[in-house]
Amino acid sequence: MPMSQDQLWYKDAIIYQVHVRTFFDTNADGIGDFRGLAQKLDYLQDLGVSAVWLMPFFPSPLRDDGYDIADYFSVHSSYGNLDDFKSFLQAAHERGIRVIVEMVLNHTSDQHPWFQESRKSQDNPKRDWYVWSDTDTKYHGVRIIFVDTELSNWAWDPVSKAYYWHRFFSHQPDLNYDNPAVREEMWRVMKFWVELGVDGFRLDAVPYLVEREGTSCENLPETHAVLKELRAKLDQHFPGKMLLAEANQWPADLRAYFGEGDEFHMAFHFPLMPRMFMGLKLEDRKPITEILKQTPQIPASCQWCLFLRNHDELTLEMVTDMERDYMYDQYAIDKHMRINVGIRRRLAPLLDNDRRRIELMNGLLMSLPGTPIIYYGDEIGMGDNIYLGDRNGVRTPMQWQGGWNAGFSGADPESLYSPLVLNPVYGYQAVNVESQKRFDHSLLSWMKRIIKVRKANPVLGRGSIEFLYPANHRILAYVRQLDKESVLVVNNLSSTAQAVELDLRRFKGNILIEMFGRNIFPRVGDLPYLLTMGPYQFYWFRLRKI
Amino acid sequence: MAEESILTDEFLRQLIDVGEADVLVGVPTYNNAATVGQVVQTIRAGLLKYFPRERAVIVNADGGSRDQTPELVRGASINDLQHSTDLTALRTLHSISAEYPGGPATGTALRTILASAELLRASACAVVSPESTTIEPEWIERLLRPVYKGNFDFVTPLYRRHKFDGLLMRNLVYPMTRAFYGKQVREPYAAEFSFSGQLASHFLGQEIWTHEVGQAGTEIALTISAITGGFRLAQSFLGAKPHVDARAADLVAAMRQTVGALFWSLEPNFSIWSAKSDSQPIPTLGAAQEVTLEPLRINRKRLFSMFRSGVAELEPVLKSILSSSTLTELQRISALEEDDFLFGDELWARTIYEFAASYHKAVISRDHVVQALAPLYRGRAFTFLVENREASGEQVEQNVEDFCMTCERLKPSLLELWNGRK
Repeated sequence: MPMSQDQLWYKDAIIYQVHVRTFFDTNADGIGDFRGLAQKLDYLQDLGVSAVWLMPFFPSPLRDDGYDIADYFSVHSSYGNLDDFKSFLQAAHERGIRVIVEMVLNHTSDQHPWFQESRKSQDNPKRDWYVWSDTDTKYHGVRIIFVDTELSNWAWDPVSKAYYWHRFFSHQPDLNYDNPAVREEMWRVMKFWVELGVDGFRLDAVPYLVEREGTSCENLPETHAVLKELRAKLDQHFPGKMLLAEANQWPADLRAYFGEGDEFHMAFHFPLMPRMFMGLKLEDRKPITEILKQTPQIPASCQWCLFLRNHDELTLEMVTDMERDYMYDQYAIDKHMRINVGIRRRLAPLLDNDRRRIELMNGLLMSLPGTPIIYYGDEIGMGDNIYLGDRNGVRTPMQWQGGWNAGFSGADPESLYSPLVLNPVYGYQAVNVESQKRFDHSLLSWMKRIIKVRKANPVLGRGSIEFLYPANHRILAYVRQLDKESVLVVNNLSSTAQAVELDLRRFKGNILIEMFGRNIFPRVGDLPYLLTMGPYQFYWFRLRKI
Repeated sequence: MAEESILTDEFLRQLIDVGEADVLVGVPTYNNAATVGQVVQTIRAGLLKYFPRERAVIVNADGGSRDQTPELVRGASINDLQHSTDLTALRTLHSISAEYPGGPATGTALRTILASAELLRASACAVVSPESTTIEPEWIERLLRPVYKGNFDFVTPLYRRHKFDGLLMRNLVYPMTRAFYGKQVREPYAAEFSFSGQLASHFLGQEIWTHEVGQAGTEIALTISAITGGFRLAQSFLGAKPHVDARAADLVAAMRQTVGALFWSLEPNFSIWSAKSDSQPIPTLGAAQEVTLEPLRINRKRLFSMFRSGVAELEPVLKSILSSSTLTELQRISALEEDDFLFGDELWARTIYEFAASYHKAVISRDHVVQALAPLYRGRAFTFLVENREASGEQVEQNVEDFCMTCERLKPSLLELWNGRK
């Protein structure tokens, strides 16, 4: 299947996020690999995804699940080698699936040769590749991100007898982007992968690239300048490649990462995600409409990236204290479910394995403005293991079938990189791809259908949004429009049946066509359009003037 | 013919939009634009502060205001239709308004609120007067919390009041409700109170709505219904209650709403009240009743003269209501000079019981019975003011308690009269 040549392909994409390690193991060492991922591309094609986002797969001591990179030009030996990657990439492209690679710009592992050089002496040529200081008082007041593990953003290096700056774990020293050599080297890294054929980068932790005294050291103009420089080079040499920003910030701060269409193509909408969960629990659209009202317009070529869950905790940094308390009480009453400023749980357990709520949330994901990202395993309702350390509880092996190691690996179960989920509700014998492929009513089958509908209607990827504000606050309704195409989306956030009257007068004369069953609903007239909706039900209607 | 609904289609539509609620605050209004804005904004603040996670709604039952009262109530809403939404609120707060049919009537307003509570399946509901300008956000918590979390079904208020405020309550309504029904509910006829959804449904099903008590005096009927229905009662200290300068004409209306409703309730509840010989306290949450002592001008002379003229002018009516001994005693004291005048506890309690029995037997029009009590009450109020002129708050409370005990002690006399032939 050929890939679209449209340079705005990312606007219509369905992105699937996966870590090579977690997906499929072909050499029975207990760790997923690129050959395994390549073997499962047919599954992803069948699911309907159009892009895969790979989490870091580079050589690394793996003290932060690969986000501590020790070599940017290679593949971690556990996952295969560069040839395996190239084969995977080719196979993906043959299936019309693009590949997005995670790139950690902000920091390296302390095991990276650059850092090893840098720490050797003050006059080492690589000394200025990192941010060093004689004191730990510079940039005072800058927030600590990993509050559960780090006490300071400075760490003492006994080798070079100085402090180095790190916004994440202390074994992840920040690169110094004031140094042109660093900027040039990181461009060389990106060029290397693009030349191999990757279609885009998810750039990790971008707000923190540059530090300045007296600031929060986040979202600085100097950081944006670095990013714009990378984008300009990418556009110049490799048009059609995409940059996706990971910037866990408020919408107003996020807006700057799009620039004037000359910085990032896409950025995650972090504040929206927790509010979708909040709106569902409150049975009230207010948190969702409120945050989207605060979301600024972005350049026409840009796009938000939406997600329900990912490899990290459900972050609660971008909510108020009251909202955070509410979210903890509602979604993470067990302290094991909490980490840093968030909740380490997968989608299905967060929603009490309630199929209606899982469908509704995926319906929102696919119909709100943005490109949806599906976290591996969520399409079958995989569970988590909150008793594993860090965020590993949501990074357990993919559950392919009910047999040996869930079909993930032929290794001894004890040697798997992570224990499988075993409990009777979410364990691999209950939740797996094989069993769900057999039934049309399974979550997997349903996900295929909704992805198909979404892909068949570009208005959902590219259209404008206009909220309707029916007096019933449990109903979240909006119209997506692109050229002459209009789609009406109506969501019942409530656990009970609801009646709603929609003001559709400006669509008078249109017929509503339900997009999943293609059934015709009554024509819009002068009176408010009355709909009755079951618990957590949602409708997507095409508006047709015939 | 089916009874016409008190809920208009428009209001029903608003209720549909609100959906199920956890807590509800009702505000009965009629041309209260001068104060209602402040009151509903305080209610809203209380809901946001103390019930931020609950599904809350403010329901205004309006008697046909022409002064923008409903618009002021609706202005307390928090929703995403507004340009700037309230970021301190987790969820939507509906503040809705309904004009009920039939013109202003507190009973119909309460019925509208009760019906809303039932339809919205609210767990806890409070009613707040639109004139309670001393309201603080804490009132909302003190009213709703005991019902929502404390397993109480009915919570009446305790206020910080001037010792000469609420004279009718102290001298008649409280002592008599207590003596009749055996529960020491300090404010059985209150402008603020709260109730459970269960009590709301129970009370809505009572056969009162076609009677006068369903129009006025419904609040005391609700108190009695809570007591006789075996619901769990408590009283909660709210704070200062503003002094209301009642006019003379208001007294008869107040008597109808309180004494009329109280006497009316005796009929259907005979088996309950006749079996009670003493009273029990109910749980008090927060401080007890507080009494303030600052100077307050009350026209005592007028009370005294109205008592005197009432006894004289209403002699034929009083003859048909009262026993000859009681009437003679009243006539005796009405002849006394102001300085010697004393309308004592026993005589006042006996008078009320004889009025209650006459109401039961409908010796004359029941409304006339209630009206005829008004001048006698003025005499009693005069004595109360004089007796407590120099009294401390504690002394005032003790005097009220003594009168209550007298009422309880003399209650058998009511039973005798009730069952007597005349």
